[in-house]
Amino acid sequence: MVAQFLGLKLRLLANIFRRSPIQLLGLLIGLAYGGGLAIASVVGLASLRLVDPIVAGSIAVTVGSVLVLSCLLAPLAFGADDSLDPRAFSLFGIPAPRLAAVLALSGLLGLPALAITAIAVAQVVTWSRNPVSLGLAVLSAVLIVVTCVLAARVAAAIAASLLATRRSRQVTGLLALIAIVSLAPIVALLARVNWDRGGLRTLASVASVLGWTPLGAAWAAPASAASGHPGAAIVQLLIASAFAGGLWLAWRALVAWILVTPQRQAHDSGSVGLGWFARLPSTPAGVIAARSITYWVRDARYRTALIAIPIAPLIFVLALSVAGVPWHILALVPVPVMSLLLAWSVHNDVAYDSSAIWMHVASNTAGRADRFGRLVPVLMIGVPLVLIGSPISAGLYGDGSVLPSLIGASSSLLLGGLGVSSVISARFPYPAVRPGDSPFAQPQASGTGSGLIQSLALLATLVLSAPAIGFAILGLMNGGQWPLGSLLAGLGLGLAFLAFGIFWGGRIFARRAPELLSFTLRH
Amino acid sequence: MLTNLAKRFGDTIAVDHLSLSVPAGSLFGIVGPNGAGKTTTLSMVTGLLRPDGGSVTVHGADVWSDAAAAKRNMGVLPDRLRLFDRLTGSQLLFYAGILRGLDSRTVKDRSADLAIAFGLEDALGRLVTDYSAGMAKKIALACAMIHSPRLLVLDEPFESVDPVSAANITDILKKYVSAGGTVVLSSHSMDLVQRVCDLVAIVVSGQVLVSGTVDEVRGAGSLEERFVELAGGRKTAEGMEWLHSFSD
Repeated sequence: MVAQFLGLKLRLLANIFRRSPIQLLGLLIGLAYGGGLAIASVVGLASLRLVDPIVAGSIAVTVGSVLVLSCLLAPLAFGADDSLDPRAFSLFGIPAPRLAAVLALSGLLGLPALAITAIAVAQVVTWSRNPVSLGLAVLSAVLIVVTCVLAARVAAAIAASLLATRRSRQVTGLLALIAIVSLAPIVALLARVNWDRGGLRTLASVASVLGWTPLGAAWAAPASAASGHPGAAIVQLLIASAFAGGLWLAWRALVAWILVTPQRQAHDSGSVGLGWFARLPSTPAGVIAARSITYWVRDARYRTALIAIPIAPLIFVLALSVAGVPWHILALVPVPVMSLLLAWSVHNDVAYDSSAIWMHVASNTAGRADRFGRLVPVLMIGVPLVLIGSPISAGLYGDGSVLPSLIGASSSLLLGGLGVSSVISARFPYPAVRPGDSPFAQPQASGTGSGLIQSLALLATLVLSAPAIGFAILGLMNGGQWPLGSLLAGLGLGLAFLAFGIFWGGRIFARRAPELLSFTLRH
Repeated sequence: MLTNLAKRFGDTIAVDHLSLSVPAGSLFGIVGPNGAGKTTTLSMVTGLLRPDGGSVTVHGADVWSDAAAAKRNMGVLPDRLRLFDRLTGSQLLFYAGILRGLDSRTVKDRSADLAIAFGLEDALGRLVTDYSAGMAKKIALACAMIHSPRLLVLDEPFESVDPVSAANITDILKKYVSAGGTVVLSSHSMDLVQRVCDLVAIVVSGQVLVSGTVDEVRGAGSLEERFVELAGGRKTAEGMEWLHSFSD
């Protein structure tokens, strides 16, 4: 059976490459990135062989702890590769402990596991200084690989089953985003540490703590032995073994539990009323708007966009501030960027509905009603954003005269962008994540040119907003009446493009409705 | 009324110049083996799939040139298409009703009636994504009926529906037909079609092999026997003896 499972895993591995060219390109970039990191770690660790044992130990323990931690966190944050989900084997009647062992073993056959093994072997090289540290390093290497593989499996199982309910999946998505965003300041902080003087001392103190935690203990044991503390080494090895043992027990218990637990439980939403449907007019456009708002609130795919939109300009601002752009200029950036992203976020809205769009086709819904209804939630967020955000931005900038420009440019981006999205989502849908799938999942089928359509939507919005933005920039440089011009151009052209986009998009929708439905069925 | 309807997907001919006439006020069953083109045909009838050729006329209106009139007269239950399942049952019914041009008062009254008729009273507050397959089928059926159309086109309406609900649905459909409505449904269950439908057509490989009243079509035997005979007979399962020597 072991051979069959390993064979299955190998075939899954080979099938990674049977994808569309664009996905393959992304995969290769990812592989090159991961492979490069692994090779750098291996070379680095091997070259630490000639470095003072305390310094080498600090570096090895810190790097190692990060590695183990990422094995635990990556599946939680990004959704695991559940091709070997224990549940998939529940009907074969394999005893749980045996299945757990076989699945853990096949976890060794994978690119991440391969990289971890290489790194673990490299730390053996680091500590091949005397027989004791060499022996301990070999033991540690085994523990490291076992720990990492088991940690990844346990985390993946938790991500796939315990967090499988709709709400908790949304929470994890949120946590992942926050984690990614909070990494940026940490990286910035690290870059500021003066590595020549305090850096190594900081590292040593961090490592001395990590070395006694389950994350770094296996890495610290040979280091302790090499620097003449065999007692400490033994205790650290015991800590690491206990952690690995604990992970194994957890994995076995999880497999046994998963095998007898149904995938997801239904739960009451607790509402019997009509929600947004009761608050909006009972017209086709009104109910489509209510449905859209409900989806923005309930559907993880929309919520991810909602969370990413305020975060993206923060990263943008951070990058610009590192590049040396003064703060008061940066205060002008977030509102227009968020307006642009908000409008852009609905440029593939039809594909998000998947085949449920048949309801609109079967009831011969007017194209304009469909187009306008979908834009309502964005307008409900975007209009207050522009009206409230612009004065705050202007206040931070320290000069009220930019307010008309800010409102002009932002509303031009928002309204014009919605017009563009209206047309694009009816004319050029591309495969999207299916309803109910993780927002971080890849679409089942990747079409050609999704990147092209995304750039087209963004570019068209920027071109349509060029007058308002141009006037705003002239106003910033020369003052005078330019800000007023920006306001008028932004509002006037924005509304005109919005109306035209709804009209044209509606015509396209009415003409192509059956084709749109066939499209969603194909993907 | 379908004339010369045709659709091909790549090299596969799904519907091969199929013609059918369904008289108003009848309960019409379409039966056929898997992959016979039933769903494709019904999708083209309801305006969900553009045919390569031929025409569909519903109460005098062509579905593909006078869509507004034709679709207003039609209630649709497609097979294997998603619903807006992040809505609760009552929200979905409301959505369907308003899209069909009803006012909110009427939609609410009819929703309550439909919920009782289909046994969904307790489920209306729950998200459709949490429904079982049978419940999802029933709420979709309710959505198809809410605007009281003249014609109901139902693709596999009884699939995964429990026997009690199926009996209720059958009753509802029979009353609807006796009041002058028309039902076209497809099914795998010969027994059910034989019991429920007035007229039946057997479709194989995208063509109508035979159509008429149930009694005409089935002749002396049961509808199932006639169907098996027309669909190419049963292939006796040979070489399956290993199934009878159990593995432990």
